[in-house]
Amino acid sequence: MQSIQTGHPFFLSSVKPLEGLLRYRDYCLAAMQKALSQGSRRRLLSPLDNEKLKPWGKIGTLDYLQCAKTGSLFLAELPEAQVWGALLKEVNDYRNQGFHADIAKTRLENVYQPKRDWIKNTLRLQGVACHHLLELAVPPSPLTALLQEEREFKAVTVLDETSFLLGKEKANAFFDAIVLLESLDRAYDPLALLEQTAASLKKGGLIFVTALVSSGFDFTLLGADNAYLYPPDRTNCFSLIGLRQILTRAGFRLLEVSTPGVLDVEVVQAHLRHKIGLSLSRFEERLLSSDPETQSAFQGFLQRCNLSSFARLVGKKDI
Amino acid sequence: MNCLIFGYGYMGRIRHRVLAEHPEVQKIRIVDPGIDPVKENIQDLVLPPDNPIPWGEFDAVFVCTPNNVTTALCVEALHRCGRVFCEKPPARNWEEFQKIVAAAKEHPDSTLVFGFNHRFHPSIKAAKALIGEGGLGDILYMKGTYGKSGGKNYRENWRNDRAISGGGILLDQGIHMLDIFRLFVNPLHVADAVLADTFWKCDTEDNAFVLLKSEGGIPVFLHSSATLWKHAFHLEIGCREGYLTASGLLSKTGSYGREQLVVGRRQFEDEAFALGNPREEIIYFDRDESWKQEVEEFICAIREGRGATHGTLEEATEVMAILRDAYKRK
Repeated sequence: MQSIQTGHPFFLSSVKPLEGLLRYRDYCLAAMQKALSQGSRRRLLSPLDNEKLKPWGKIGTLDYLQCAKTGSLFLAELPEAQVWGALLKEVNDYRNQGFHADIAKTRLENVYQPKRDWIKNTLRLQGVACHHLLELAVPPSPLTALLQEEREFKAVTVLDETSFLLGKEKANAFFDAIVLLESLDRAYDPLALLEQTAASLKKGGLIFVTALVSSGFDFTLLGADNAYLYPPDRTNCFSLIGLRQILTRAGFRLLEVSTPGVLDVEVVQAHLRHKIGLSLSRFEERLLSSDPETQSAFQGFLQRCNLSSFARLVGKKDI
Repeated sequence: MNCLIFGYGYMGRIRHRVLAEHPEVQKIRIVDPGIDPVKENIQDLVLPPDNPIPWGEFDAVFVCTPNNVTTALCVEALHRCGRVFCEKPPARNWEEFQKIVAAAKEHPDSTLVFGFNHRFHPSIKAAKALIGEGGLGDILYMKGTYGKSGGKNYRENWRNDRAISGGGILLDQGIHMLDIFRLFVNPLHVADAVLADTFWKCDTEDNAFVLLKSEGGIPVFLHSSATLWKHAFHLEIGCREGYLTASGLLSKTGSYGREQLVVGRRQFEDEAFALGNPREEIIYFDRDESWKQEVEEFICAIREGRGATHGTLEEATEVMAILRDAYKRK
């Protein structure tokens, strides 16, 4: 397995500023409550090991539960399945028109172009000729156009991830590569989504997964005070171990496991500036108020040791 | 498949380990008059040194001997067996190497592979995958440093005895980097070379600086050294759309550092926050299967009755020609 570190600095304000996020988050929580009011089911068991989930904390008024063995976090109450896709689409549209509207260009440069490069390079490194690539997303996705521009991807198909999961949209082909960027974070049934993804991959095909992970620095430090933890976007917040486990359980052999995130330190600092309830140790205080070089070195350390909150995994379907 | 290994030094032991794990290998025997089979716990594997070699019992021969006997054994193995894996360097010098060339010509159906395993290292394979069209584009230049510190027994090692080895660090270790260069840019010619024996004083070079140029005008530079107090493997490849820097090598001791590949994209002022400080990714590798892959390809070639696809006689010839020309310039 390879672990990857990116040395390209960019700022929280250019991709997901806390100020804008807080407004969007409130919208999401309200939309979630509305969806739950139409009917819900409670998750009792971990999708990782079917063991009972234990209480963890609240985001707004919504309970999150934790998988005891892996530390992964899961929203306790889910709306009915048929409502889920519409909910994701609603918040996606709101986000694209509001929260992300002013930072679309910088997000393209700092979030989506690197992801495209990662997918392209990994396919070359693994010797996989990508005739047909599938992106599972909540359309419209900013990544789609970037993928379609690449000559190396002969054909790019985009399917709504929830419709794909529920069988409403079918993949009419077997794919060389399937991309799930943060899809597992919001998947109604993440294991089923992965199993269906595996079924749609050719033998030797690759799955590309990105996710925010609860084992990362900012999630560990901020806990339930982390403003970046909210449904439906983070209905599931796997730990890195949890992600590895669920991918393996779905039949993938892991080729890459890395946490190349660059924003953990900045995320915590942003929370401090907003005085979002935080109690730090003296060491943590010193670290977060140290000079930029020290902070950058620490962020590099988090990346190298798989302790950042942004995870990137590649799996291969061997059989 | 039955395999015969000549020489049970550093490389002989590695080949033995890899062959012992290969599902197609049934029998391994070793010839090395310089070892104590009982001490090595390989009594059942070692052929008595004074007995004739039972060539007919073996499907493949691995020549892992000091340089002064490699050529002769390789030639005999080609005559007697026809399927030969020969460690590098294939000979002490160009003239000696011609004996192998002549023997291979006499046996055009033979399978002959030379042990240039570094091209199978994950960082090198990854670099090769990322250059070219659709990737980082054509190569503009290459620069390699490969060296070690030598150690307290350096002068006593046969590798630094000219009569046995034929040369110094360039022939012993720099040859790997030359083979890697060739993997990316080919053919290469020596533009200049400076060889120095300034520390070890073994009458073999302990530092070699070799400047090469491809037929297309691409400059390539090698520093091969036995006075790098911190062991180093470093290969920089500049391409039209970006650059690659492979450094470190997965090895038993880890002394060359963690094997990694830095991938950087060219970004000018309109694309990057700061000119000259582009976006980079660092890929770390944690598995070295180069020995296994090399031997697997050799065994595959035998099974399929074909010639080698790597470490070929042609490739070895080109590398030996570079060495010949570099040594002429010293």
